[in-house]
Formats: sequence, C-alpha cells, structure tokens
Amino acid sequence: MSEREFHPLVKQLLDGDVTLADLPAELRAEGEEALLILGAVDRRPVQLGDFTARVMAQVVERPRRTFWRRVLEPREIRVSVRPWLLVPALAAAAALVLWLGRSGPAASSSPALVTVRFVLSAPDAHAVSVAGTFNQWNANATPLVRTGDGLWTATLTLPAGEHQYAFVVDGARWVPDPAAPAVDDGFGRRNSVLTL
Amino acid sequence: MLLAFALPLVLLMQQQPAIAGRLGGRVSPEIAALATELGTAAAARGLPVDPIIQKAIEGSAKGVPADRVAAAMRLVASQLDASRGALLTGNSALGVDTVAIAAGAFALTAGLKDGDVTALSHSGAPRADIIVGLRVAGTLSALGVPRAETVSLVQASLQAGRPAGELLSLPGQVQTQVAKGVTPAQAAAGLARAAAAQSRRGPPPGRGQPPPHPGPPPHP
Amino acid sequence: MRLETGSDGEIVRAVLAGDRDRFAILVERYRDRYARYAARMLGSADEAEDAVQDAFVRAYDQLGQCKEPDKFVGWFFLILRNRCFAERRRNRTSAPIEAAEAVAAADRTDGGAESADRRRALQLALLELTPDQREVFVLKHVEGLSYGEIAERLSTSVPSLKMRMHRAYDRLREQLREQR
Repeated sequence: MSEREFHPLVKQLLDGDVTLADLPAELRAEGEEALLILGAVDRRPVQLGDFTARVMAQVVERPRRTFWRRVLEPREIRVSVRPWLLVPALAAAAALVLWLGRSGPAASSSPALVTVRFVLSAPDAHAVSVAGTFNQWNANATPLVRTGDGLWTATLTLPAGEHQYAFVVDGARWVPDPAAPAVDDGFGRRNSVLTL
Repeated sequence: MLLAFALPLVLLMQQQPAIAGRLGGRVSPEIAALATELGTAAAARGLPVDPIIQKAIEGSAKGVPADRVAAAMRLVASQLDASRGALLTGNSALGVDTVAIAAGAFALTAGLKDGDVTALSHSGAPRADIIVGLRVAGTLSALGVPRAETVSLVQASLQAGRPAGELLSLPGQVQTQVAKGVTPAQAAAGLARAAAAQSRRGPPPGRGQPPPHPGPPPHP
Repeated sequence: MRLETGSDGEIVRAVLAGDRDRFAILVERYRDRYARYAARMLGSADEAEDAVQDAFVRAYDQLGQCKEPDKFVGWFFLILRNRCFAERRRNRTSAPIEAAEAVAAADRTDGGAESADRRRALQLALLELTPDQREVFVLKHVEGLSYGEIAERLSTSVPSLKMRMHRAYDRLREQLREQR
C-alpha cells in the first residue's frame, strides 16, 4: 500500500478508455480501488426551491431595463396524459399516469414526480389498498376509495423510477394489477411493475 | 488488499444501525439480522442496499415464512452482484453506480440475462438514459417481450438518441399493439425497426431541448 | 408552455429588447445543471446557490456583452466559473468538512447511507485538489463531458486536461487513504 500514484493503465480505466477486463490481473485490485472513486461521485441534482423567483426579484431592481412588468408569472404545469397507460385502463384495472410534473430542460436533470391513479375493479371487496416499494409495502398506508361500479381508486404522486406493487384486497389477499407488467416476487407470486 | 476508503471498518459498522433503522421494526429479528449481514456485505462491494431491505420488508408484509424471505433476499443480493458484473464489463462507470446497478438488477429479475445488461450498458448513450433503458428493458421483459427483441428495441432507441420520456413510452406502445392482436415480440420488433430508421435519418428536428453543453464559449 | 419556448439566442435578444421576464426562462433552463457544478466545485449547496444566483444577476447586467446570444450558456458558464474560483480563494480558511457534509447529507434517498459516506469522503478529497484539477474532474465525472468537450469549453488542449486529471486521480487516492 505504499504506492501513491495509480498505474497509467488504471488512469485510462478511470478515463473510460479501457474496462476492468482489459487490465492485467495484477492491476485488477488497483483498478477496483480506482473505480470506487467514480462510484462515490455525486451526480445528484441540487435542489434550489424558489430560486428563479429570487433571481428575478433582483433582476427587476436593476436600472437598465426601461419598464417594469410582473416579476414572474405562476409556473405552468404541463398536464399530459400518457395514452399508453389508458390501454390497460380499459381492462378495468390499472395504474394511470395523470400528469407529469414540470418538464423542459430544467427538469431533465431533476427527479420528476409523476402522479399516478391506481384503479382496480373489485365489486365484491370490502376494502382495497395498494402496497409497494413506494410505501414500504404497507398494506394500510394507501387505501383505495370505492367510486361506484365496483371500481376502487387511489391517486399517488411518485418519483420517476421503477416501482413494484400489488393490491391488497380485504386486508389479506395480495393481487397483482391484471393490466400491468409483472415480475416474480421471489415468494411464488407476482409483483406489478410501474416504470415512470 | 485493503481497499482505500470504501471499506474502512468504521463505515461498515455505520451500515448496521442505518439498515436496522430503515427496517424500522417491520421485520422479525431473524430477518433483520440477515438484512444487516447481506446489506453490509453488499455495501462493501459497492452495491445498493435498498433492494435487499425492500425485499425483507416486502416478504414480512406479505406474511411469507422467514426461510423464503431469506432465500428471496439472497437472490436479490446475487442479482445485484450479477448486475454490477455485467455493467462493469460493458461500461466501467456504470458498474460503480448504485442506481445503475439497481436498474440492471431489476432487468435481471424481469428475465434478462447478464449479457443483455452488458449490451445495453455500452450503447454510448448518457448515463441517465442507459439507466432508464435498463428499467424499460425490464418492463418490456415483464410484458412478455422476448429477450432478443427487448434488447434490440431499447438499443435502437438509445442509439437513435431518444429522450427518456420516449423510452418510457415503449412498454405502453407495446401494450397498445398487443391489444390490437399482435404478439409482444412482433410489437417490439416493429418499434425497433422504426427506431432504427429514425437513427439513420438522425433525430427529429425541433426537439426543443438545447444540447447539454453547447460550446465553444469565448475565452475566459 | 410560455416558460419553455425559444432558443437561448431568441430569449437573449428578447430580453435585450426589453422583455425582461423572459430571462426567467434561461434561469429555469440552466439553474439546476449549474448549481450541481457549483456545489461540487465549492463543496457547499448554500454557497453554490449564492454563486449561481450572483452569476445569473451578473449575466443579466452584462447581457449586452454576450456577443453570441446563441451561445449564451457557454458565456454564462464562464461567469459562474470565475465566481466559483473567486469564492474558493476567499474561503480557503473555511471548514470544508462541514461544507462537504452539507452536500452529502442533502439527500440520502438514492443509494442509502453507504453512498452518502462515500460521497462525503470524495467531496472532502475533491476540496483538497487545486481548482483546476477539481474542475476537470467535475466536468468529466459529474457533468459527463468528454475531454474534447471540456477542452472546447475551457479553450485548452486535451493532453493538458488529461495531465491535470491524472494528477487529480493520484491526489484523490492519496487524500482518500489519509481519510481512512
């Protein structure tokens, strides 16, 4: 552990010019060590809150411009239904994406929030909830509301990403969403998948 | 060999209360102990811990016997390892990225193989798009699209420079086609041909987003 | 979508013509990306926010000097870069540990505690680099630019950037070992 400098080949690895598999065996450990540096790189966006309003408040105080107008209009929120999720809705059970939070370049590097409506047709049920990776699989956290015709719905705002979930009927029966993609849950059942 | 800074004992010891805290008393002491053991080992290998914790909580919430929860947690840990290996082979930066590793592990859970994850990871697309691509590939697989068609479609879309929003629309487009009576494989193949054609033509005009870093600027 | 329309050049020309509100579009468009650059350069989310805010206000004041409105963002980047380098000179005596912790503790959701600890260790080590070394590391490994793109932005050559980066790798290795 006395050496201080990375081997030139390891530096090429960090530069992305070669892969770990390209390194001779005796450099693999050093390569792994080096890659841990890249693994610690913090690429998360920085949240700025009402930053734009603050900048614009300073800007309007500047003398250069000749007339004063409203500092900033309320931000418009794009409301876009994702039609591909309407198709499973026809099957009477689905998670519907209602709208996507702010879009545009500023949002491209920040985690978008997506509002999703979960719908299940279960006319004979007395209670329905949805449990998944977004609520720590808590069967009591997100009850659905009966809306008539045996339909149960709940609306949640979730971060972009991959979520797994199931409906819980009458507090005991775990039911995958019949209209959504599903994966093996590792326990002999299926989890529904929602990728936002 | 002692790995620099990633494995100091103190950090690994800090993992244990952190994992216990996130389990929050939702699992039995037996499962909590296993989650801590697997989670600490995963962290030491640069893997994300969250999927293991999630599986422990999920199994307990579903009332699954402890031995089956344990087996499922071990499976998750091995898939994370496999994902890391597959990503390292294809794209060394993604192999050390816990978000990418989790996305790759999901793709493996959904039925893709290590080689598929490797192939998707060296498409040359930006990191964020590859991560979305891995998730979308897993979702397509979960819809019943065969592996070959899944990988072709996502690769073609990444190479066509499609933004994340369009990648995310692929599973829905497949579902729409399937509702019209074609097989998932046919639907995916059709979409892949369209993406490849777009790739040859270049990206559609007027996408509206400025390039990430237009240059060159004037001298400082 | 009024807030999202128009190329940078169109917006700069509109602001110069008196439509001051449209400057908000440019702020919205670039604030998050450059806040991240500034946070990694300065080691503090708060300092980064101040720096980006100052840079935008300065850019507004000097907008008439932006010779190529279509390249607004490259011009803006240099204003912010100068501000970040100046900030580091001023704050050389400040306590980087707290700053790095503030950055690392901001969010632990996307990888858990182990990632947060490593991020903090790396951010501390980054603050020990020279600003030039830190910048090339941030632009390549945080912002994902290629050496060619960085060279264009900073009007320098790829070999000199690589030399800078390779020194940074060695220095980071040393720092991270000392932190153990």
